[in-house]
This record gives sequence, structure tokens and C-alpha cells, in this order.
Amino acid sequence: MPVRLSDRIGYYGAWASGLFLTSVVFGIVAWLLVNGLRNIDWAFLTTNPAPGSIEIGVAGGIVAPLIGTLIITAMGTAIALPLGLMTAVFLGEHGKPKWLKQGTDTAIDLIFGVPSIVFALFGLAIFSSPSMVFLSSEVQTSGMATAKSYFCAALMMALIALPPIVRSTQAAISQVPNVQREAAYALGKTRFATIRKVVFPSIKPGIATGTILGMGRIAGDTAIVWILLGGAVLEPPQPGWYEPQNFLDFLHGTGSTLTTYVYFASPAGEGNAEGKAYGAALVLFALVFIVNIALGRLGQRKIGRQ
Amino acid sequence: MDSNDNTPPVDAAYEKAQAQEWRHALDATSDHRAAGIASDPTEIAVVAEPVLAGVGAAAVAVTADLDAPPPPRQHIADPRDLAIAIRGLRVSYGSSEILHGVDLDAPRGGVLALVGPSGCGKTTLLRSLNRLTELAPTAKIDGKVLLDSDDIYGPKVDLNLLRRRVGMVFQQPNPFPMSIFDNVAFAIREQAHRRPTRTSLMPQVEHALERAGLWHEVKDDLNRSALSMSGGQQQRLCIARTLAADPEVLLMDEPCSALDPRSTARIEELIVQLAGSLTVVIVTHNLAQARRIADYAAFLLNGDLIEQGPAEQIFETPREQSTRDFVAGIFG
Ligand SMILES: Nc1ncnc2c1ncn2[C@@H]1O[C@H](COP(=O)(O)OP(=O)(O)O)[C@@H](O)[C@H]1O
Ligand SMILES: [Mg+2]
Repeated sequence: MPVRLSDRIGYYGAWASGLFLTSVVFGIVAWLLVNGLRNIDWAFLTTNPAPGSIEIGVAGGIVAPLIGTLIITAMGTAIALPLGLMTAVFLGEHGKPKWLKQGTDTAIDLIFGVPSIVFALFGLAIFSSPSMVFLSSEVQTSGMATAKSYFCAALMMALIALPPIVRSTQAAISQVPNVQREAAYALGKTRFATIRKVVFPSIKPGIATGTILGMGRIAGDTAIVWILLGGAVLEPPQPGWYEPQNFLDFLHGTGSTLTTYVYFASPAGEGNAEGKAYGAALVLFALVFIVNIALGRLGQRKIGRQ
Repeated sequence: MDSNDNTPPVDAAYEKAQAQEWRHALDATSDHRAAGIASDPTEIAVVAEPVLAGVGAAAVAVTADLDAPPPPRQHIADPRDLAIAIRGLRVSYGSSEILHGVDLDAPRGGVLALVGPSGCGKTTLLRSLNRLTELAPTAKIDGKVLLDSDDIYGPKVDLNLLRRRVGMVFQQPNPFPMSIFDNVAFAIREQAHRRPTRTSLMPQVEHALERAGLWHEVKDDLNRSALSMSGGQQQRLCIARTLAADPEVLLMDEPCSALDPRSTARIEELIVQLAGSLTVVIVTHNLAQARRIADYAAFLLNGDLIEQGPAEQIFETPREQSTRDFVAGIFG
């Protein structure tokens, strides 16, 4: 036990902070579980939001928003992951020319710091121009694009998922001992082959961590969904949207996600179905949690076995 | 003749003549470089004139005079047949020059030990032989390194092929975080899309591990992570990994400095066995080790090559005062 008073204050302070944080987080989870579970049943998970949802009790379920979250997360990650890996390799392995490295570093920090609604607004401005009609659909009266589609939203989502993927991968790259790279060069491997065969296997856990964080940002974002995917919580997708001939049309159209559903159903929105909001929030939480564990496992797979 | 005398007068005269001839060859080298003539076979013949040949002959004269000549080594490299000939090698990092024009021969099939005090440029010299030096962004390299009489700094050199012909083992064992098998197969697997199967790679992997004296220790557990091996085993794995590319020259930078005496002895044994089938250039701070394994030795001091020749001559009858002081352990 520390003797000096300042040491003691520091010691108990640190201890109390840990306790405080733990109880707050567990409190939120418990509250979510209690309120959410009460509202989750089979029908909730298997029906679409109902048009008559203004009346309490007939608000329907979350199938469409759940699918929306899964699809937008998958699309955003699919764009951000390769881009993020290449950016991290550039920053961590090459870093030349210096001005480009510094520029990229600043850009990543900026994206991290700027609220997503700013990117959503920017996206709206860009994607609504007539030349961007291929990303969404045309507004018949004006010839402009609607700028609301899975494509539009996914592009901006990819942007906000980029910083965690880049930083986490870059940190892992800097942990790879230089002697291993040199060993590969000394065996006649090219720079690219060295990155692929020597650096990459060692940084998989870092990539997994970054991807989890990036996916969490996408799944949790509301502003980009509201502006670039649409607040169409009460418009379930056309029947058969998942069939191959309809899927591309579906991605060009508007949609909803769990976050917009939670907002809409909550007392703050128009749905006025608090219970449904808790239920959807719990599902979102569980989803991110599962992805976290699954990807964490994948990244930690034992090195050395084939 | 007094065999205690380090510099018998007869040999001194002989050496003087040789040294003159030698300087002549070097002048020729620099003339050619100044003229900017590219690799013309006749020129290479001049350039590759062994620096060591005269010295070797002198040393033979010395040993012939001794009462009890040392037992012949298992492999006798012909000092005139050079695997590597370094000519006028200058290396600088930024504004500080580390190597000031080094001329050095590595006779084919021999073990050449590079000795010298810490910081004198041994590692830099070694890494210039497989062009790893240029990985340092500030490095500037001048001069020629002839591998089989082709300049490795020439314009049309395939860097990746060069580094397979001239393999390297580092000071710290640095296996990849993969299985033992994958470490050795690493050099063999082509970068092509079609991956060779494990079965098709196995004979080469076994051969390389066999040559590195590791096969019997690991043959039942090739899937084990290389990082779980002992330090000595890891270093022999690194040797096996390098041998898998079937190099002509093996560069070793203080390969035993991180190992215990037992592992060191195994690796020394290995080096002696490997010599003959390939040329070894080894940097070592351990003079006893250099005496045990080297056929030829070179003494480097502050970026200048002070003296080179047969190992016995360098260690028993060095010509330069600084070499004498160094091998006597006065500094280093
Ligand atoms: N990448 C580098 N950049 C700058 N200086 C270097 C670099 N590598 C080595 N040096 C310097 O070159 C000199 C010789 O180093 P080195 O070749 O490692 O010597 P040795 O192996 O004989 O101890 C040292 O002064 C060292 O600080
Ligand atoms: Mg060194």
C-alpha cells in the first residue's frame, strides 16, 4: 500500500475510475438487456416495420432495418478494407514521397475527427449531381440524382471506416521486425512479395482489430444513413428484392438500418414505440459483439500451423 | 633462416615486387572506370586479376621454409579462381564515408573471414555483396563487386536472382513466424500463381535441412512454428532457408554472436562442411573462431582493408603493425 498521500490519492483514484467505468458499461448492458429482451420475440425478428406503426403495438418488426445494417456494413467494409490496407502499407512500408505521407496522415486524422454528418452532407452534394445518377436514381422532374442508395451510403461509410483500419494495420506493420523483411530481401524476394508473405501474416490480428472497429463505426452511424440511404423506415423493400435480377435495383434504392429504426421508434422520432427501440438497440449491440468475437478469433489464429 | 622472424628479408623483397604489380592492376582498374567502359570481357579479365594471388604465393614461400608445415585443409581453394572480387568499393551513408575503396578477393570454395574492430565497416562490406546496403535510404555505393567476373552493380543485374546466388545469414537468427517447412520452402516457392505442392517441395526442403545438419532434429515435426526452436536451431534453420535457394556464395554476419558455445561449435562445423560446395564470407569478432574455420582472412580497419591473405599468414605472420596488434588482442 502506498504511503505518501499523493500516491494514495492516485492509487484510489485509478481504482475508483476502473470501478466506475466497469459499472457504467455493465449498467448500460444490463438496462439494454432488460428492456430489450422484453420486446424481442420471433415476430419482431421476422416481420418488417408496419405502416401503421404510429399506433403502439402494431409497429411490426425489424427485418428490413436488420438487413439494411448487414448490407451497408458489408459494402462499406468491402470498400474500406482494401483501400485501408493499401494506405497502411504505403504509410508503414514506403512512406515516400514525404509530403504525400504527411498529407495522408493528416487526411486520416481529419476523417477520424470530423463528424459523419459532414461527410453525409458532402456526399449529398456530390452524389446528387446528374453525372452521379448511376449510384442512385434520377429525380424525374429535375434530372438530378436522388443521392439516396446503398451505393451512396456505402461510399461515405467506407470513408469513416478507413481511419481505424489504417491506424490499426499501420501499428501492426511497425511491430514487424526489420530483420524479417531483410531476410526476405536476402532470399531474392521483391518488396511486394515480402509484404505479402512476411509482413501480412504477422499483421492479421491488427487488420482484424481495425476491421472490427471500422464495422462498428458503420453499423453505429446514423447521419450517413439518414441523409444518403433515406429515412425510409416504413417502406419495406419490394418483395423478392434479394433475387439476382432485383438485387442491383435494390442497392440503387433507399433503405433503412437498425440505427435509423431505433431513432424513428424512440420517443425522439415519429414511431413512438419505445419498446421496439430497445429491442432493435439490443439486436444492434449483439450484432457488433458477435462480429467482434468472430473476427478477434480469426485474427488470432495460431501462427506456424498450415 | 630464423623462423621466429615475422618478416624474412627474402619474402619482403618478393612482396614489394608483388605489391608493385598489384598497384599496377588497381591503377588499370581505376583507369577503366574513369574511361567509363562497360562490362567488356577483356577488361573484366584485367579487373578481376586476383589481388590475393601474389600474396598467396608469398605465403606459400613462408610456410615452405617452416620446419613443420600445418596439415593441409580438406578443401583447398585456388586463390586465382575468384568467386568474388571487390574492386575499389566505396560506401557512404549520407556525408560520412564508411568504406574507402576496398579491394578484396574471395577465392571460390574457401572460407574468407573478415575481421576488424567494431564499427570498422565489416557489416557494411558484407551487405554490399548482395546489395542489401542500398536498402538504407542514405547509402551511396561506388566501385565494383565482381561475381564470376560480372559486376553486381552493373546495369542489367537481376537483383532477385543476385540475392539467390549470394545468400546471407544474419547476426540475429531471424526465422519467419511460420512453420519450419514454410521457412525453408520460402525461397523455393515461386511467385507464380500456381503454388507448388508440399510434396513436390519436400525433396528440396529435406536436402536443405540435411545440409544445415537439422533434418534429423526436425523431420518429425516440420509443421512446428520456427519460433519455438532454440536459438542455435533457429540459426541453422536460417542457414537451411538460405541453402534452399542453392547459393554460390554464403555471407554470414557474426552468425554465432547470439549463440551458446555448443551451438557455435555446430555452426562452425557446418561452415567447414559447406565450404568447397560454396564460397563462404564470414564476419566474425571472434578471432579464435576465424582461426578455426577460415582459409583466408582479411583485416579491415576504419573502412580500409589493411591486409588480406591466407588465414595462417594473417594470424601468424601479419605484415602490417596494426594487424599484428589486432590479432595479438591489443585492440578490437
Ligand atoms: N544504415 C546506416 N546509416 C548510417 N550509418 C550507418 C548505417 N549502417 C552502419 N552505419 C555506420 O557505419 C559504420 C560501420 O558500421 P558497420 O558496417 O555495422 O561496422 P561493423 O559491422 O564492422 O561493426 C558505423 O559507424 C555505423 O554507425
Ligand atoms: Mg557488424
